[in-house]
Amino acid sequence: MFLLISFLFFLLRISPGDPSLKFISPDLSPKLAAKIRDSFNLNSSLVDQYKAFLINLVRGNFGISYTYRMPVLSVIKDYLPFTLIFSSISFLIQIIAGFFLALFSVKKINGAFDKTISKLSLIAYAIPSFVLGVSLILVFSSALNLFPSSGLSSFDFSSFSFFQRLSDYAFHLVLPLITLSLSGVAVYYKYLRENLEDVYNKTFVLNLRAHGFTEKEITRKHVIPNAINPLISVAGVELGILFGGALVTEVIFGLPGMGRLTVNAILSRDYPLVIGCTFISGVLVILSNLAADLIKVRVDKRLLKSTLN
Amino acid sequence: MNIKRISFLILFLLIAFLSSCNKENSSNSNRVIIGISSDIESTNPLFAFTPNEGNISELLYLSLVQFDWDKQKGELIPKPMLAKDWYWNADSSSITLDLRNDVYWSDGVQFTANDVVYSFDVYSDPVVQSSLYGTFKNFYTDTSLHIDINKTFTVESPFKIKINFKKGSIPNFVDIGLPLIPEHVFKNVDRKNLITTEKDMKPVTDGPFYLSNWEKNQAIILKANKKSFLHKSSGLSELIFKVVPDYSSRIMQLKRDEIDLTEDSEAGDVAQLKNISSLIISPIDGRDYDYAAWNNIDPDAYKRNKIIPNKIFGDEKVREAFTYAINRQEIVHDFLNDLGQVASGPVSPIFKNALDTLLKPLPYDPDEAKRILAADGWKDVNQDGVLEKGNQKLSFTFYIPSGNPRRKYAATIIKNDLRKIGVDIKIESLEPQVFFQRMFAHELNAWMAGWSVPIPLDLKSPWYSDLKNTPLNVYGYQSKAADALLNLIGHEKSSQQRDQLYKKFQELIYKDNPVTFLYWVDNIVAYNRRIKNISITPLGAVEHCWNWSITK
Repeated sequence: MFLLISFLFFLLRISPGDPSLKFISPDLSPKLAAKIRDSFNLNSSLVDQYKAFLINLVRGNFGISYTYRMPVLSVIKDYLPFTLIFSSISFLIQIIAGFFLALFSVKKINGAFDKTISKLSLIAYAIPSFVLGVSLILVFSSALNLFPSSGLSSFDFSSFSFFQRLSDYAFHLVLPLITLSLSGVAVYYKYLRENLEDVYNKTFVLNLRAHGFTEKEITRKHVIPNAINPLISVAGVELGILFGGALVTEVIFGLPGMGRLTVNAILSRDYPLVIGCTFISGVLVILSNLAADLIKVRVDKRLLKSTLN
Repeated sequence: MNIKRISFLILFLLIAFLSSCNKENSSNSNRVIIGISSDIESTNPLFAFTPNEGNISELLYLSLVQFDWDKQKGELIPKPMLAKDWYWNADSSSITLDLRNDVYWSDGVQFTANDVVYSFDVYSDPVVQSSLYGTFKNFYTDTSLHIDINKTFTVESPFKIKINFKKGSIPNFVDIGLPLIPEHVFKNVDRKNLITTEKDMKPVTDGPFYLSNWEKNQAIILKANKKSFLHKSSGLSELIFKVVPDYSSRIMQLKRDEIDLTEDSEAGDVAQLKNISSLIISPIDGRDYDYAAWNNIDPDAYKRNKIIPNKIFGDEKVREAFTYAINRQEIVHDFLNDLGQVASGPVSPIFKNALDTLLKPLPYDPDEAKRILAADGWKDVNQDGVLEKGNQKLSFTFYIPSGNPRRKYAATIIKNDLRKIGVDIKIESLEPQVFFQRMFAHELNAWMAGWSVPIPLDLKSPWYSDLKNTPLNVYGYQSKAADALLNLIGHEKSSQQRDQLYKKFQELIYKDNPVTFLYWVDNIVAYNRRIKNISITPLGAVEHCWNWSITK
């Protein structure tokens, strides 16, 4: 993490662009304009800036966002909860839907269901999210008038009861969640279907059948644990990426997530905010991978033994 | 079995959600929803850097005067707001204002002349870094452009104030038309930290609307301030600025009545929007233009603090030939669907009195362009299709900022047209921050950008020769005659005389062709028919929205 944000610090400082440009009236003389630039502390040497940055970082201070004029962590605090909840729900949808679709598919390999879902999953994976998002809006918002086309909540949200608020959020998030999750469902489906098929074809499954175990027992106790293990690592990485923000979905549906915040910070050269967003995203990626490793160990105890050995 | 139960439960919950939620539809209430592309960063007028921030803060905080737009003359008409009456002294060097005594801030404290003095003091204080810092040139200021309060203001009573302007200046109502802030709220805040601490403060306002809720990156919800003297019982109860970053989504929501109004619609969408019976499309003459800039000075020499003419574009004949060679009408017709007009100079068609209508845009005439270049000594000596003059080839890179489809389209037309007359031109797209940084540093040779002409008209900033003090003259235009005219305009008190001087200035620019003025872009405002009493002017669509009403 230290290396990542140090690298980012220098990269931002040497990249072209002037974050103070917005604050300088064209009517100002160069001398007064330079004074404003000075207030951004960008005129001191890179080493001095880096030293100050590190000292602040140790104190947990990422600085003040140039754009929002608030401490960086306060800005992120407004956006992070949405991203965490939205990404987690999407992640669960991807895993659960992918898992059950794969399970039903391998029940009858090359059956009608398997063939249909396999083809649909290819389409779902291939559709870019902006195409999917706009198409969903056209069908479900514009034509059928079923769901709102953007926003996280209704304007009368503050007057709603707790359950009304909950349903209002859900109502607004149906289309964004489909947009964000569909390609992930296809990926997990493909992974799991192949893994499940592989495991079903292993000789130990034949042995279990020969010993009279029921299909339900074989699937639950032996096939699924073996099949999902390789997927856990992939899921850990995917979750980390999701936590970084879902830019396209956020833009199309006007949602207040980390993706939009980070990209806007980059475009406006809001250096402290870019570093803050990257730090938080980096921490979340590490935590997601750690969680994935712990789950892997929990599912397959041999891993822990081999690690200890 | 469990799976079936879970599936059933999910389906049940989904149906419950669908049935319990009301679809958002603006037409159900006395509210108007305005679609905007990005969130604001502050509701405080001190830090209103973007048009949306300006619009919203002006609805929350009142000014001494408000403005109407005189379409016939193309001028601002000042009208009373917090000042109910005013008197200029004989030589217009001071103005005495009678203030309303029935205005209260939202915390119950009465508005007084002290708020006026305090506001001007804070706006002009360099440590505050307000959006208007540096613009108080008609006031007595110190070297840091901070207004000299003692010299400038005389508070005659809580509701009467005299403002003295700098000797020799030509003050106007725009100088005093800024939204005022409450002294009692901000006076104890360290001004150096005002930019960061004001975020945590609940806005204390006196406008026709108050801030009800601000959902970050979602919506800014304003409600009618029924105590305001501007409030009308038939007016809006709510005004919502809804953030819809994606342009297509914004247009779709407009069609579905999810939003009631949006500005800056694209010309390509006008035909389909006109087919929707609930919408009114109102294109108005814009004050934004695009131009193809030819750097009049040499970028390398400028780096060494020398101003010498550009090797190619320093020659006004080349610039004139380029203007003839570019088919600007084609861009207006094909991309803007004729919702704009070819530009002949830097004065927008909205300024009716100042605009020199006798100056017609140079026609598209590639043969004339070739003739001018040939007469100027540009010939294709080595028969490679590119003109040369001595050792100088007519070859350059034309830069455009990325992410702007209109400029990308126009740049392609420019490239094709200039190639036809023997110019070797390459187009390069730069990320906007990089583009503007290099443009302001005078590093580019040729580029395309746009400019929004301010109200009231100010031509000195983008055209005065002193590049150090007028950084907007990015193309390095150098003309002593133009400088003399601009200086005269700055000291001319009579608006009729000023208009005549503007016309002379336009003639000069027309002759010199410092840039190729491409086209004025109409501001296309699309709004729902149910909004009544709306007046779309160059000041914006939201101006005076407290007068709007809704037909049920």
